[in-house]
Amino acid sequence: MKDEALLTNDERRTTKAASAPSSFFLGLSSSWLLPSLAFCLMIVLWEAVVRGFNVPLYLLPAPSGILGAFFQQPGYLLQIGLFTFGEALAGFAIGCGLGALVAAICVRFPLLAEGLVPFSVGSNAVPIVALSPLLGIWLGSISPASKIGVVAIMTFFPTLINVYRGLTSPSPDTLQLMRSYAARQRDIFLKLRLPAALPYLFNALKICASLSMIGAIVSEFFGGRQSALGVYIKSQAGLLRLRECWSGILMACILGIVFYLLIAAAERLVMPWHMSFRRER
Amino acid sequence: MPNPIANPQYLIAMNAPIIAIDRVTKTYDSGGGTVTALHDVSFSIQAGEFIALIGPSGCGKSTLMRLVGDLDQPSAGSIQVKGKPPRQARLDRDYGIVFQSPVLYDWRTVRKNVELPLEIMGRTEPARQERSRAMLQLVGLQDFGEAYPWQLSGGMQQRVSIARALSFDPALLLMDEPFGALDEITRERMQAELLLICGDAGADTTVIFVTHSIPEAVFLADRVVVMSPRPGRIERVVDIDLPRPRDIATRESPRYFELVTEVRESLRES
Repeated sequence: MKDEALLTNDERRTTKAASAPSSFFLGLSSSWLLPSLAFCLMIVLWEAVVRGFNVPLYLLPAPSGILGAFFQQPGYLLQIGLFTFGEALAGFAIGCGLGALVAAICVRFPLLAEGLVPFSVGSNAVPIVALSPLLGIWLGSISPASKIGVVAIMTFFPTLINVYRGLTSPSPDTLQLMRSYAARQRDIFLKLRLPAALPYLFNALKICASLSMIGAIVSEFFGGRQSALGVYIKSQAGLLRLRECWSGILMACILGIVFYLLIAAAERLVMPWHMSFRRER
Repeated sequence: MPNPIANPQYLIAMNAPIIAIDRVTKTYDSGGGTVTALHDVSFSIQAGEFIALIGPSGCGKSTLMRLVGDLDQPSAGSIQVKGKPPRQARLDRDYGIVFQSPVLYDWRTVRKNVELPLEIMGRTEPARQERSRAMLQLVGLQDFGEAYPWQLSGGMQQRVSIARALSFDPALLLMDEPFGALDEITRERMQAELLLICGDAGADTTVIFVTHSIPEAVFLADRVVVMSPRPGRIERVVDIDLPRPRDIATRESPRYFELVTEVRESLRES
Protein backbone atom coordinates (compact mmCIF):
# COMPACT_ATOMS: atom_id res chain seq x y z
CA MET A 1 0.00 0.00 0.00
CA LYS A 2 0.97 3.61 -0.08
CA ASP A 3 2.78 3.90 3.20
CA GLU A 4 5.43 1.82 4.77
CA ALA A 5 5.22 0.48 8.26
CA LEU A 6 4.40 3.48 10.36
CA LEU A 7 6.00 2.06 13.47
CA THR A 8 9.14 3.39 14.99
CA ASN A 9 11.93 0.98 15.80
CA ASP A 10 11.28 1.77 19.40
CA GLU A 11 7.82 0.39 19.13
CA ARG A 12 9.06 -2.73 17.42
CA ARG A 13 11.46 -3.41 20.21
CA THR A 14 8.95 -3.04 23.00
CA THR A 15 6.60 -5.58 21.52
CA LYS A 16 7.33 -9.23 21.12
CA ALA A 17 4.99 -10.39 18.46
CA ALA A 18 4.65 -13.87 17.01
CA SER A 19 7.42 -15.36 19.17
CA ALA A 20 5.11 -16.84 21.77
CA PRO A 21 6.61 -18.06 25.03
CA SER A 22 8.38 -21.28 24.09
CA SER A 23 9.72 -22.35 27.47
CA PHE A 24 6.43 -23.99 28.39
CA PHE A 25 7.87 -26.88 30.39
CA LEU A 26 10.72 -24.88 31.83
CA GLY A 27 8.26 -22.39 33.25
CA LEU A 28 6.17 -25.23 34.58
CA SER A 29 9.09 -26.90 36.34
CA SER A 30 10.47 -23.72 37.91
CA SER A 31 7.08 -22.83 39.35
CA TRP A 32 6.80 -26.35 40.75
CA LEU A 33 10.26 -26.52 42.27
CA LEU A 34 9.55 -24.76 45.56
CA PRO A 35 6.25 -26.48 46.31
CA SER A 36 7.87 -29.88 45.62
CA LEU A 37 10.72 -29.05 47.96
CA ALA A 38 8.30 -27.96 50.67
CA PHE A 39 6.32 -31.17 50.21
CA CYS A 40 9.42 -33.38 50.55
CA LEU A 41 10.53 -31.49 53.61
CA MET A 42 7.12 -32.02 55.18
CA ILE A 43 7.26 -35.79 54.55
CA VAL A 44 10.74 -36.04 56.02
CA LEU A 45 9.66 -34.07 59.10
CA TRP A 46 6.58 -36.28 59.47
CA GLU A 47 8.70 -39.43 59.32
CA ALA A 48 11.21 -37.98 61.81
CA VAL A 49 8.54 -36.91 64.30
CA VAL A 50 6.75 -40.27 64.23
CA ARG A 51 9.99 -42.20 64.73
CA GLY A 52 11.67 -39.78 67.16
CA PHE A 53 8.70 -39.37 69.50
CA ASN A 54 7.41 -42.93 69.08
CA VAL A 55 3.98 -41.67 68.06
CA PRO A 56 1.50 -44.54 68.52
CA LEU A 57 0.14 -46.05 65.32
CA TYR A 58 -3.48 -45.16 66.03
CA LEU A 59 -2.54 -41.46 66.16
CA LEU A 60 -0.36 -41.24 63.08
CA PRO A 61 1.51 -43.86 61.06
CA ALA A 62 4.84 -42.94 59.48
CA PRO A 63 4.88 -42.14 55.72
CA SER A 64 7.08 -45.18 55.18
CA GLY A 65 4.41 -47.38 56.79
CA ILE A 66 1.69 -45.84 54.64
CA LEU A 67 3.75 -46.31 51.48
CA GLY A 68 4.46 -49.90 52.55
CA ALA A 69 0.73 -50.60 52.88
CA PHE A 70 0.13 -48.81 49.59
CA PHE A 71 2.61 -50.94 47.68
CA GLN A 72 1.31 -54.17 49.20
CA GLN A 73 -1.79 -53.85 47.03
CA PRO A 74 -1.38 -50.99 44.57
CA GLY A 75 -3.50 -52.74 41.94
CA TYR A 76 -6.40 -53.24 44.30
CA LEU A 77 -6.25 -49.67 45.57
CA LEU A 78 -6.17 -48.37 42.01
CA GLN A 79 -9.14 -50.55 41.10
CA ILE A 80 -11.36 -49.36 43.96
CA GLY A 81 -10.03 -45.85 43.44
CA LEU A 82 -11.04 -45.88 39.80
CA PHE A 83 -14.48 -47.16 40.74
CA THR A 84 -14.98 -44.13 42.98
CA PHE A 85 -13.32 -41.89 40.45
CA GLY A 86 -15.85 -43.15 37.90
CA GLU A 87 -18.71 -42.07 40.18
CA ALA A 88 -17.05 -38.69 40.68
CA LEU A 89 -16.52 -38.28 36.94
CA ALA A 90 -20.11 -39.22 36.09
CA GLY A 91 -21.49 -36.79 38.67
CA PHE A 92 -19.03 -34.15 37.50
CA ALA A 93 -20.12 -34.55 33.89
CA ILE A 94 -23.80 -34.36 34.77
CA GLY A 95 -23.47 -31.47 37.26
CA CYS A 96 -21.06 -29.35 35.20
CA GLY A 97 -22.84 -30.11 31.93
CA LEU A 98 -26.26 -29.15 33.29
CA GLY A 99 -24.78 -26.14 35.09
CA ALA A 100 -23.24 -24.80 31.87
CA LEU A 101 -26.42 -25.50 29.93
CA VAL A 102 -28.67 -23.73 32.42
CA ALA A 103 -26.20 -20.79 32.45
CA ALA A 104 -26.53 -20.51 28.68
CA ILE A 105 -30.33 -20.60 28.95
CA CYS A 106 -30.16 -17.91 31.66
CA VAL A 107 -28.33 -15.59 29.25
CA ARG A 108 -31.12 -16.02 26.71
CA PHE A 109 -33.86 -15.47 29.31
CA PRO A 110 -32.72 -12.76 31.75
CA LEU A 111 -35.80 -13.21 33.92
CA LEU A 112 -34.75 -16.78 34.65
CA ALA A 113 -31.27 -15.56 35.56
CA GLU A 114 -32.69 -13.00 37.98
CA GLY A 115 -34.54 -15.73 39.81
CA LEU A 116 -31.95 -18.47 39.65
CA VAL A 117 -28.54 -16.87 40.04
CA PRO A 118 -28.87 -15.27 43.51
CA PHE A 119 -30.40 -18.50 44.76
CA SER A 120 -27.50 -20.49 43.32
CA VAL A 121 -24.97 -18.19 44.97
CA GLY A 122 -26.77 -18.82 48.24
CA SER A 123 -26.62 -22.56 47.73
CA ASN A 124 -22.83 -22.30 47.93
CA ALA A 125 -23.22 -21.92 51.66
CA VAL A 126 -25.24 -25.14 51.92
CA PRO A 127 -23.22 -28.27 52.78
CA ILE A 128 -24.72 -30.39 50.02
CA VAL A 129 -22.79 -33.45 51.10
CA ALA A 130 -25.13 -33.50 54.12
CA LEU A 131 -27.81 -34.64 51.69
CA SER A 132 -25.94 -37.93 51.15
CA PRO A 133 -28.05 -40.06 53.50
CA LEU A 134 -31.21 -38.75 51.82
CA LEU A 135 -29.91 -39.48 48.36
CA GLY A 136 -29.08 -42.94 49.68
CA ILE A 137 -32.74 -43.39 50.52
CA TRP A 138 -33.90 -42.00 47.16
CA LEU A 139 -31.43 -43.68 44.84
CA GLY A 140 -30.29 -46.70 46.91
CA SER A 141 -27.56 -46.37 49.51
CA ILE A 142 -25.43 -49.12 47.96
CA SER A 143 -25.91 -48.05 44.37
CA PRO A 144 -23.39 -45.70 42.71
CA ALA A 145 -26.39 -43.60 41.60
CA SER A 146 -26.68 -41.95 45.01
CA LYS A 147 -22.99 -40.93 44.90
CA ILE A 148 -23.32 -39.64 41.37
CA GLY A 149 -26.38 -37.70 42.52
CA VAL A 150 -24.50 -36.01 45.38
CA VAL A 151 -21.61 -35.07 43.10
CA ALA A 152 -23.94 -33.77 40.40
CA ILE A 153 -25.72 -31.48 42.89
CA MET A 154 -22.42 -30.33 44.39
CA THR A 155 -20.92 -29.38 41.03
CA PHE A 156 -24.06 -27.95 39.41
CA PHE A 157 -24.24 -24.64 41.27
CA PRO A 158 -20.60 -23.51 41.08
CA THR A 159 -20.61 -24.24 37.35
CA LEU A 160 -23.91 -22.41 36.81
CA ILE A 161 -22.69 -19.30 38.64
CA ASN A 162 -19.25 -19.18 37.07
CA VAL A 163 -20.35 -19.86 33.52
CA TYR A 164 -23.19 -17.36 33.81
CA ARG A 165 -20.72 -14.73 34.99
CA GLY A 166 -18.44 -15.61 32.10
CA LEU A 167 -21.16 -15.48 29.48
CA THR A 168 -22.27 -12.07 30.72
CA SER A 169 -18.71 -10.73 31.12
CA PRO A 170 -18.35 -9.04 27.67
CA SER A 171 -18.40 -5.26 28.08
CA PRO A 172 -21.20 -3.10 26.60
CA ASP A 173 -18.69 -1.87 23.99
CA THR A 174 -17.98 -5.36 22.68
CA LEU A 175 -21.69 -6.11 22.48
CA GLN A 176 -22.35 -2.85 20.64
CA LEU A 177 -19.61 -3.66 18.22
CA MET A 178 -21.42 -6.91 17.45
CA ARG A 179 -24.63 -4.93 17.10
CA SER A 180 -22.97 -2.59 14.60
CA TYR A 181 -22.03 -5.62 12.49
CA ALA A 182 -25.69 -6.68 12.58
CA ALA A 183 -24.49 -9.97 14.08
CA ARG A 184 -27.00 -12.73 14.68
CA GLN A 185 -27.61 -14.01 18.23
CA ARG A 186 -25.84 -17.22 17.28
CA ASP A 187 -22.68 -15.37 16.26
CA ILE A 188 -22.75 -13.21 19.39
CA PHE A 189 -22.95 -16.37 21.48
CA LEU A 190 -20.37 -18.44 19.62
CA LYS A 191 -17.85 -15.74 18.75
CA LEU A 192 -18.12 -13.52 21.81
CA ARG A 193 -19.89 -14.91 24.86
CA LEU A 194 -18.58 -18.45 24.69
CA PRO A 195 -14.87 -17.64 24.28
CA ALA A 196 -15.22 -14.94 26.96
CA ALA A 197 -16.72 -17.54 29.31
CA LEU A 198 -13.97 -20.15 28.84
CA PRO A 199 -11.70 -18.88 31.65
CA TYR A 200 -14.70 -18.87 33.98
CA LEU A 201 -15.73 -22.35 32.85
CA PHE A 202 -12.29 -23.79 33.54
CA ASN A 203 -12.22 -22.11 36.91
CA ALA A 204 -15.48 -23.86 37.71
CA LEU A 205 -14.23 -27.21 36.37
CA LYS A 206 -11.13 -27.01 38.57
CA ILE A 207 -13.22 -26.28 41.65
CA CYS A 208 -15.62 -29.05 40.72
CA ALA A 209 -12.85 -31.61 40.12
CA SER A 210 -11.88 -31.35 43.79
CA LEU A 211 -15.49 -31.16 44.92
CA SER A 212 -16.49 -34.26 42.99
CA MET A 213 -13.83 -36.49 44.61
CA ILE A 214 -14.85 -35.17 48.03
CA GLY A 215 -18.51 -35.75 47.26
CA ALA A 216 -18.02 -39.29 45.98
CA ILE A 217 -15.82 -40.46 48.87
CA VAL A 218 -17.81 -38.83 51.66
CA SER A 219 -21.10 -40.18 50.34
CA GLU A 220 -19.55 -43.64 50.20
CA PHE A 221 -18.99 -43.34 53.95
CA PHE A 222 -22.77 -43.64 54.26
CA GLY A 223 -22.77 -46.92 52.39
CA GLY A 224 -21.70 -48.31 49.05
CA ARG A 225 -20.19 -51.25 47.20
CA GLN A 226 -17.32 -53.14 48.81
CA SER A 227 -15.28 -52.22 45.75
CA ALA A 228 -15.41 -48.49 46.51
CA LEU A 229 -12.57 -46.39 47.91
CA GLY A 230 -14.70 -44.52 50.46
CA VAL A 231 -16.10 -47.78 51.81
CA TYR A 232 -12.57 -49.18 52.05
CA ILE A 233 -11.23 -46.14 53.92
CA LYS A 234 -14.11 -46.23 56.38
CA SER A 235 -14.00 -49.99 57.00
CA GLN A 236 -10.22 -50.05 57.48
CA ALA A 237 -10.53 -47.19 59.98
CA GLY A 238 -13.22 -49.18 61.81
CA LEU A 239 -10.87 -52.15 62.01
CA LEU A 240 -8.06 -49.86 63.21
CA ARG A 241 -5.97 -50.99 60.23
CA LEU A 242 -4.66 -47.45 60.02
CA ARG A 243 -1.79 -47.94 57.57
CA GLU A 244 -4.29 -49.45 55.12
CA CYS A 245 -6.75 -46.66 55.85
CA TRP A 246 -4.08 -44.06 55.09
CA SER A 247 -3.03 -45.86 51.93
CA GLY A 248 -6.65 -45.47 50.74
CA ILE A 249 -6.50 -41.77 51.55
CA LEU A 250 -3.25 -41.57 49.58
CA MET A 251 -4.98 -43.10 46.55
CA ALA A 252 -7.80 -40.56 46.92
CA CYS A 253 -5.22 -37.74 46.96
CA ILE A 254 -3.47 -39.07 43.86
CA LEU A 255 -6.72 -39.37 41.91
CA GLY A 256 -7.87 -35.93 43.01
CA ILE A 257 -4.61 -34.35 41.92
CA VAL A 258 -4.58 -36.20 38.60
CA PHE A 259 -8.16 -35.06 37.92
CA TYR A 260 -7.22 -31.45 38.63
CA LEU A 261 -4.10 -31.62 36.47
CA LEU A 262 -6.01 -33.10 33.55
CA ILE A 263 -8.35 -30.14 33.62
CA ALA A 264 -5.51 -27.66 33.98
CA ALA A 265 -3.84 -29.26 30.94
CA ALA A 266 -7.07 -29.07 28.95
CA GLU A 267 -7.29 -25.40 29.91
CA ARG A 268 -3.87 -24.67 28.44
CA LEU A 269 -4.77 -26.52 25.26
CA VAL A 270 -8.11 -24.78 24.79
CA MET A 271 -7.08 -21.23 25.63
CA PRO A 272 -3.35 -20.68 25.14
CA TRP A 273 -4.10 -16.97 24.78
CA HIS A 274 -5.21 -16.51 28.34
CA MET A 275 -3.70 -13.96 30.70
CA SER A 276 -2.56 -16.48 33.29
CA PHE A 277 -0.23 -18.15 30.77
CA ARG A 278 1.47 -14.92 29.74
CA ARG A 279 4.87 -14.43 31.12
CA GLU A 280 6.44 -11.52 29.36
CA ARG A 281 5.45 -8.49 27.45
CA MET B 1 -17.52 7.47 -12.98
CA PRO B 2 -20.86 8.38 -14.58
CA ASN B 3 -21.16 11.87 -15.96
CA PRO B 4 -23.38 13.84 -13.53
CA ILE B 5 -24.78 16.07 -16.26
CA ALA B 6 -25.76 13.13 -18.44
CA ASN B 7 -27.32 11.36 -15.48
CA PRO B 8 -29.49 13.79 -13.53
CA GLN B 9 -30.49 11.24 -10.90
CA TYR B 10 -26.81 10.84 -10.03
CA LEU B 11 -26.54 14.61 -9.61
CA ILE B 12 -29.34 14.50 -7.07
CA ALA B 13 -27.70 11.62 -5.25
CA MET B 14 -24.45 13.53 -5.06
CA ASN B 15 -26.03 16.60 -3.52
CA ALA B 16 -28.23 14.78 -1.02
CA PRO B 17 -26.56 14.60 2.39
CA ILE B 18 -25.35 11.16 3.46
CA ILE B 19 -26.59 11.93 6.97
CA ALA B 20 -29.56 14.15 7.72
CA ILE B 21 -30.31 14.84 11.38
CA ASP B 22 -33.67 16.56 11.75
CA ARG B 23 -34.81 18.16 15.03
CA VAL B 24 -33.54 15.30 17.13
CA THR B 25 -34.14 15.24 20.88
CA LYS B 26 -32.91 12.57 23.24
CA THR B 27 -34.01 12.29 26.86
CA TYR B 28 -33.05 9.70 29.44
CA ASP B 29 -34.91 8.67 32.56
CA SER B 30 -32.54 8.90 35.47
CA GLY B 31 -33.91 8.08 38.88
CA GLY B 32 -36.45 10.80 39.66
CA GLY B 33 -36.43 13.07 36.61
CA THR B 34 -35.56 13.07 32.96
CA VAL B 35 -32.24 14.29 31.58
CA THR B 36 -32.19 15.95 28.17
CA ALA B 37 -29.03 14.76 26.45
CA LEU B 38 -29.86 16.43 23.15
CA HIS B 39 -32.38 19.13 22.43
CA ASP B 40 -33.72 19.86 18.94
CA VAL B 41 -30.53 19.17 17.01
CA SER B 42 -30.50 19.50 13.23
CA PHE B 43 -27.45 18.93 11.08
CA SER B 44 -26.51 17.35 7.80
CA ILE B 45 -23.31 15.78 6.55
CA GLN B 46 -22.14 15.34 2.95
CA ALA B 47 -20.57 12.11 1.71
CA GLY B 48 -16.81 12.04 2.25
CA GLU B 49 -16.85 14.76 4.91
CA PHE B 50 -14.78 14.50 8.06
CA ILE B 51 -16.86 15.90 10.93
CA ALA B 52 -15.49 16.45 14.43
CA LEU B 53 -17.94 16.75 17.34
CA ILE B 54 -16.46 18.67 20.24
CA GLY B 55 -17.77 19.98 23.52
CA PRO B 56 -17.59 19.63 27.30
CA SER B 57 -18.81 16.50 29.08
CA GLY B 58 -22.56 16.16 28.96
CA CYS B 59 -23.02 18.09 25.72
CA GLY B 60 -24.38 15.00 24.00
CA LYS B 61 -21.64 14.56 21.38
CA SER B 62 -21.29 10.83 22.02
CA THR B 63 -25.06 10.51 22.21
CA LEU B 64 -25.40 12.14 18.80
CA MET B 65 -22.86 9.71 17.33
CA ARG B 66 -24.63 6.78 18.95
CA LEU B 67 -28.00 7.88 17.55
CA VAL B 68 -26.54 8.07 14.06
CA GLY B 69 -25.06 4.59 14.52
CA ASP B 70 -28.34 3.11 15.82
CA LEU B 71 -26.69 2.17 19.11
CA ASP B 72 -29.50 4.20 20.68
CA GLN B 73 -32.80 5.68 19.44
CA PRO B 74 -33.89 9.34 19.47
CA SER B 75 -36.82 10.37 21.66
CA ALA B 76 -38.07 12.78 18.99
CA GLY B 77 -37.05 13.87 15.50
CA SER B 78 -35.58 11.73 12.77
CA ILE B 79 -32.25 10.68 11.33
CA GLN B 80 -31.64 9.53 7.76
CA VAL B 81 -28.47 7.75 6.74
CA LYS B 82 -28.02 7.27 3.00
CA GLY B 83 -31.75 7.95 2.75
CA LYS B 84 -32.55 5.15 5.21
CA PRO B 85 -33.37 4.99 8.90
CA PRO B 86 -30.24 4.27 10.99
CA ARG B 87 -31.52 0.79 11.85
CA GLN B 88 -31.63 -0.16 8.19
CA ALA B 89 -28.20 1.37 7.63
CA ARG B 90 -26.87 -0.74 10.49
CA LEU B 91 -28.44 -3.89 9.07
CA ASP B 92 -26.87 -2.95 5.72
CA ARG B 93 -23.50 -2.74 7.52
CA ASP B 94 -22.86 0.90 6.71
CA TYR B 95 -21.09 1.63 10.00
CA GLY B 96 -17.55 1.03 11.15
CA ILE B 97 -17.22 1.93 14.82
CA VAL B 98 -14.10 2.71 16.86
CA PHE B 99 -14.42 3.26 20.60
CA GLN B 100 -12.01 4.86 23.04
CA SER B 101 -10.84 1.44 24.17
CA PRO B 102 -9.80 -0.85 21.31
CA VAL B 103 -12.17 -3.66 22.46
CA LEU B 104 -10.16 -6.38 20.79
CA TYR B 105 -10.91 -10.03 21.51
CA ASP B 106 -8.15 -11.50 23.68
CA TRP B 107 -8.58 -14.97 22.22
CA ARG B 108 -8.10 -13.87 18.63
CA THR B 109 -4.87 -12.95 16.94
CA VAL B 110 -4.57 -9.47 15.45
CA ARG B 111 -5.43 -10.84 12.01
CA LYS B 112 -8.43 -12.75 13.34
CA ASN B 113 -9.65 -9.64 15.13
CA VAL B 114 -9.58 -7.70 11.87
CA GLU B 115 -11.43 -10.55 10.17
CA LEU B 116 -14.16 -10.76 12.82
CA PRO B 117 -16.72 -8.55 11.04
CA LEU B 118 -15.98 -10.32 7.76
CA GLU B 119 -16.65 -13.69 9.41
CA ILE B 120 -19.95 -12.43 10.75
CA MET B 121 -20.84 -11.09 7.32
CA GLY B 122 -20.16 -14.48 5.81
CA ARG B 123 -17.17 -13.67 3.58
CA THR B 124 -15.10 -16.59 2.39
CA GLU B 125 -11.78 -17.50 3.99
CA PRO B 126 -9.59 -16.33 1.05
CA ALA B 127 -11.52 -13.06 0.79
CA ARG B 128 -11.11 -12.48 4.52
CA GLN B 129 -7.40 -13.15 4.43
CA GLU B 130 -6.81 -10.89 1.49
CA ARG B 131 -8.76 -8.11 3.14
CA SER B 132 -7.09 -8.43 6.56
CA ARG B 133 -3.67 -8.42 4.92
CA ALA B 134 -4.48 -5.20 3.08
CA MET B 135 -5.96 -3.59 6.19
CA LEU B 136 -3.01 -4.50 8.40
CA GLN B 137 -0.67 -3.09 5.79
CA LEU B 138 -2.74 0.09 5.72
CA VAL B 139 -2.25 0.62 9.46
CA GLY B 140 1.39 -0.53 9.38
CA LEU B 141 0.92 -3.76 11.30
CA GLN B 142 1.59 -6.28 8.54
CA ASP B 143 4.21 -8.05 10.68
CA PHE B 144 1.90 -8.42 13.64
CA GLY B 145 -0.97 -10.44 12.18
CA GLU B 146 -0.23 -13.54 14.25
CA ALA B 147 0.42 -11.64 17.50
CA TYR B 148 -2.17 -11.47 20.24
CA PRO B 149 -3.61 -8.08 21.25
CA TRP B 150 -1.91 -8.10 24.66
CA GLN B 151 1.46 -8.24 22.94
CA LEU B 152 0.86 -4.82 21.34
CA SER B 153 1.14 -1.28 22.74
CA GLY B 154 -1.98 0.84 23.24
CA GLY B 155 -1.46 2.78 20.02
CA MET B 156 -0.98 -0.41 18.02
CA GLN B 157 -4.12 -1.92 19.54
CA GLN B 158 -6.10 1.11 18.46
CA ARG B 159 -4.68 0.72 14.93
CA VAL B 160 -6.00 -2.84 14.90
CA SER B 161 -9.36 -1.50 15.98
CA ILE B 162 -9.33 0.99 13.08
CA ALA B 163 -8.29 -1.75 10.64
CA ARG B 164 -11.18 -3.87 11.89
CA ALA B 165 -13.67 -1.00 11.46
CA LEU B 166 -12.49 -0.42 7.89
CA SER B 167 -12.22 -4.10 6.98
CA PHE B 168 -15.69 -4.35 5.46
CA ASP B 169 -15.41 -0.96 3.77
CA PRO B 170 -18.29 0.81 5.53
CA ALA B 171 -19.62 4.07 4.10
CA LEU B 172 -19.39 5.68 7.54
CA LEU B 173 -16.73 5.62 10.18
CA LEU B 174 -17.95 6.53 13.68
CA MET B 175 -15.15 7.24 16.15
CA ASP B 176 -15.83 7.96 19.82
CA GLU B 177 -12.69 9.57 21.28
CA PRO B 178 -10.54 6.89 19.67
CA PHE B 179 -7.23 8.48 20.71
CA GLY B 180 -8.40 9.68 24.13
CA ALA B 181 -6.45 7.05 26.05
CA LEU B 182 -3.16 7.54 24.18
CA ASP B 183 -0.23 9.72 25.15
CA GLU B 184 0.23 13.03 23.31
CA ILE B 185 3.05 11.85 21.01
CA THR B 186 1.31 8.65 19.93
CA ARG B 187 -1.87 10.62 19.59
CA GLU B 188 -0.43 13.11 17.06
CA ARG B 189 1.09 10.29 15.06
CA MET B 190 -2.22 8.42 15.01
CA GLN B 191 -4.00 11.56 13.81
CA ALA B 192 -1.62 11.86 10.87
CA GLU B 193 -2.10 8.17 10.07
CA LEU B 194 -5.86 8.48 10.24
CA LEU B 195 -5.76 11.28 7.67
CA LEU B 196 -3.59 9.15 5.39
CA ILE B 197 -6.08 6.30 5.68
CA CYS B 198 -9.37 8.12 5.33
CA GLY B 199 -9.11 11.87 5.64
CA ASP B 200 -7.16 13.24 2.72
CA ALA B 201 -7.02 12.60 -1.00
CA GLY B 202 -9.69 10.46 -2.59
CA ALA B 203 -11.43 9.68 0.66
CA ASP B 204 -14.92 8.34 0.14
CA THR B 205 -15.40 7.38 3.78
CA THR B 206 -17.50 9.79 5.82
CA VAL B 207 -16.15 10.18 9.34
CA ILE B 208 -17.84 11.35 12.52
CA PHE B 209 -15.14 11.88 15.12
CA VAL B 210 -16.01 12.66 18.75
CA THR B 211 -13.24 14.35 20.70
CA HIS B 212 -12.34 16.50 23.71
CA SER B 213 -9.29 17.96 22.05
CA ILE B 214 -9.48 21.22 20.12
CA PRO B 215 -6.18 20.79 18.19
CA GLU B 216 -7.23 17.26 17.24
CA ALA B 217 -10.61 18.42 15.93
CA VAL B 218 -9.09 21.27 13.89
CA PHE B 219 -6.27 19.16 12.47
CA LEU B 220 -8.56 16.34 11.32
CA ALA B 221 -11.90 17.77 10.33
CA ASP B 222 -13.55 19.52 7.41
CA ARG B 223 -16.06 20.96 9.86
CA VAL B 224 -15.91 21.16 13.64
CA VAL B 225 -19.29 20.99 15.36
CA VAL B 226 -19.07 22.79 18.70
CA MET B 227 -21.67 21.53 21.16
CA SER B 228 -22.80 22.84 24.54
CA PRO B 229 -24.46 21.12 27.49
CA ARG B 230 -27.71 21.38 29.47
CA PRO B 231 -29.44 20.67 27.22
CA GLY B 232 -27.08 19.27 24.60
CA ARG B 233 -27.22 21.35 21.43
CA ILE B 234 -25.08 22.59 18.55
CA GLU B 235 -23.48 25.90 19.49
CA ARG B 236 -21.61 26.61 16.26
CA VAL B 237 -20.17 24.90 13.23
CA VAL B 238 -16.64 26.00 12.30
CA ASP B 239 -15.49 25.36 8.72
CA ILE B 240 -11.89 24.22 8.66
CA ASP B 241 -10.43 25.52 5.40
CA LEU B 242 -6.92 24.17 5.96
CA PRO B 243 -5.55 22.67 2.74
CA ARG B 244 -5.15 18.90 2.41
CA PRO B 245 -3.11 16.81 2.66
CA ARG B 246 -2.37 18.03 6.14
CA ASP B 247 0.92 17.34 7.90
CA ILE B 248 3.25 18.79 10.52
CA ALA B 249 3.45 22.05 8.54
CA THR B 250 -0.31 22.36 8.95
CA ARG B 251 0.03 22.26 12.72
CA GLU B 252 2.49 25.14 12.56
CA SER B 253 0.59 27.35 10.14
CA PRO B 254 -0.97 30.66 11.33
CA ARG B 255 -4.36 29.66 9.92
CA TYR B 256 -4.32 26.52 12.09
CA PHE B 257 -3.79 28.64 15.22
CA GLU B 258 -6.54 31.04 14.18
CA LEU B 259 -8.97 28.15 13.80
CA VAL B 260 -7.94 26.58 17.10
CA THR B 261 -8.57 29.93 18.77
CA GLU B 262 -11.91 30.27 17.04
CA VAL B 263 -13.06 26.84 18.23
CA ARG B 264 -11.77 27.55 21.72
CA GLU B 265 -13.70 30.80 21.90
CA SER B 266 -16.92 29.16 20.73
CA LEU B 267 -16.44 26.54 23.41
CA ARG B 268 -16.00 29.24 26.02
CA GLU B 269 -19.23 30.91 24.96
CA SER B 270 -21.14 27.65 25.24
